[in-house]
Amino acid sequence: MTTYTVYKEQLPGLFEKWSKQYALHVPARLREGFYDLVPWKKDLEIAWDYDVAYNSPKRFVMPPHEALITYDRRTCEAQPVFEAPKQILFGVHPYDVKALNQLDQLMEGGSPDQNYLRRREATVVMVFEPLTVSSSAFWASVGAASVAHGFDLYWTKIGPAAFTVEVGSAKGEELLGMNGPLLSSTAGDKEGARRAKARVLAKARKNALRYNWEETPRLLAKCWDSPLWRRYSQMCLACGSCNLVCPTCYCFDIREETDDKLETGVRSREWDGCMLEGFAKVAGNHNFRPKAQDRYRHRYFRKGKYIYDKIGELGCVGCGRCVRACTAGIANPLKVFNELWEETAHEY
Amino acid sequence: MNTKLFSPYVPRPVTLVEKTPLSDFVTRFTFEQDNGKPLAHKPGQFVNLSIYGIGEAPFSISSPPRRTNITFEIAVRRIGAVTGALHALEPGAKVGLRGPYGSSFPVMKFVGKDVLIVAGGLGYIPLRSLLFYQLRHRDEFGRIVLMVGTRDPKERIFVDEIADLAKSGEVEVMETVDMPDSTWKGNVGVITTLLPKAELDPGNTFVAMVGPPIMYRFVIAECRKKGIASEQIFVSLERKMKCGLGKCGHCQINELNTCIDGPVFCYTDIEAYQEAI
Ligand SMILES: Cc1cc2nc3c(=O)[nH]c(=O)nc-3n(C[C@H](O)[C@H](O)[C@H](O)COP(=O)(O)OP(=O)(O)OC[C@H]3O[C@@H](n4cnc5c(N)ncnc54)[C@H](O)[C@@H]3O)c2cc1C
Ligand code: SF4
Ligand code: SF4
Ligand code: FES
Repeated sequence: MTTYTVYKEQLPGLFEKWSKQYALHVPARLREGFYDLVPWKKDLEIAWDYDVAYNSPKRFVMPPHEALITYDRRTCEAQPVFEAPKQILFGVHPYDVKALNQLDQLMEGGSPDQNYLRRREATVVMVFEPLTVSSSAFWASVGAASVAHGFDLYWTKIGPAAFTVEVGSAKGEELLGMNGPLLSSTAGDKEGARRAKARVLAKARKNALRYNWEETPRLLAKCWDSPLWRRYSQMCLACGSCNLVCPTCYCFDIREETDDKLETGVRSREWDGCMLEGFAKVAGNHNFRPKAQDRYRHRYFRKGKYIYDKIGELGCVGCGRCVRACTAGIANPLKVFNELWEETAHEY
Repeated sequence: MNTKLFSPYVPRPVTLVEKTPLSDFVTRFTFEQDNGKPLAHKPGQFVNLSIYGIGEAPFSISSPPRRTNITFEIAVRRIGAVTGALHALEPGAKVGLRGPYGSSFPVMKFVGKDVLIVAGGLGYIPLRSLLFYQLRHRDEFGRIVLMVGTRDPKERIFVDEIADLAKSGEVEVMETVDMPDSTWKGNVGVITTLLPKAELDPGNTFVAMVGPPIMYRFVIAECRKKGIASEQIFVSLERKMKCGLGKCGHCQINELNTCIDGPVFCYTDIEAYQEAI
């Protein structure tokens, strides 16, 4: 695979060019300890050492509110709505790309979700190897420390002003070469990238599952009746924050709005969350997951077993966002899985 | 169809041609496809029906598959926004339709066998599509036993139709109500109480059941008591649904998506799922 070495001083020029054709989003510090991907503008300082973006990148491919169809009540005809702005997500961490790759698989499988796929197709993903690790993250122990596909360029900082950039797609290479010829990385530069990765991995391994992540579905299969579900869920506020911030949570509701003349309208999808009380409640007030415990357990089973059974990966990439977002202090896949592991230790 | 503009979320128009009240809250609606084609569904499948400006909701198809006829039927209980708006429509009105979606009763497996149909409450609505398909090919099946359970006599639906079926001799009908009134002369008790009264050949009987969530566990237990194997029991389960495409997550039973893996399941395939029954 092709790897180029790029210097910091080349970036403003590239960003300038890219931003003419694409909506370009880059990591920035919003306030102390609070980072997010924001629209790039000249002289914006890139937060190279950000630990985690407060919002996950799913919002770029599946926005919180997205029109699906428009309808005309007079004719009863409906038309699809497709919006797919050309965008570059610069500086996404590997675990978040892992999450995007999962969404790709899940949205493409069965009945392909055209709205998602079109947005995804129009999105260029540029990974950046993290320099810092959030204190609540555990991605290194859930198989999400690296990605082999799903990106156009993979950036690694190998010095104060130098990067190696691994090419993931022809489009990525073309974008990188927009300002003139590229410099192939030397063996030394590549070694620098390898070392940078090893450094961050060492930091990331501080928070770890106590077992091989591939055991998780088998572990959960034994834990349906564990007292842990009630112990934690009794503090749950059913606020759905853990769902909202999660890069792999994609459940949605479908709603519509008609104009004041009651003639035409838009039907949209909106992020929904399995932790919300009414998520599985049907007309006539029957709730298929009436208790906080049912909903809390469902979320962990989905992350640790259901998604795994579908695609062979954990549905949690270990970003730690839910851990930070939960006011009740109970959203924490690492803690939950580790405690279940301890609980069942006698079975091994 | 222009595949470039294809979206699975876009409904197509269908026109209401007939509306027949079945009880205080339940009405049968007959629609005609504006595209001039038969619906091409299988017994047990459902459609997502849109009333623009109100929303979209899933309904079982109540009519049997029709090869040339472009009409189809659903029967709906008025209980909320979409079902309320649907009841307010008059023939000639158009609605949006997606589907048919989901799994169906494996009628081919039932060929040459006896079939027990257990309909609790509104469960007769989807089962009717299976029943009338079988009646059209009556000599390909053994006995057809229909058990119908309703809370009280006022809530019974398709009363005349079920009476005609009983009279025809092609279906053995057993009926019960939970809470009888002065007009009721038949069996009293929940639907489970009908099973011990039926003589069935367990090795040769397939069961299809649809009813309220609480019903399944008890009816399945009675079937098992009679010696009917899990592989011979088929259930249709209802969950909250939004997309009908296996994406939105609302209809999950553990890891199954009721909208694409179901709604019809063989009991063997769901026995192990805690959230199923
Ligand atoms: C596979 C399947 C088949 C069904 N078949 C029938 C039928 O033949 N006859 C009938 O009367 N009812 C049937 N239902 C139930 C019917 O879908 C609900 O009564 C209906 O969705 C209520 O919508 P509402 O807008 O009137 O109620 P509201 O309470 O206003 O519901 C708002 C929305 O929530 C969702 N929702 C609420 N309840 C349900 C539910 N029970 N199931 C799925 N989604 C729900 C729908 O999207 C609905 O539009 C079926 C449900 C499923 C899943
Ligand atoms: S479950 Fe929590 S830690 Fe895992 S991916 Fe979702 S937000 Fe991140
Ligand atoms: S963020 Fe915490 S309190 Fe809110 S729904 Fe999730 S687990 Fe419950
Ligand atoms: S209804 Fe959306 S996943 Fe089944």
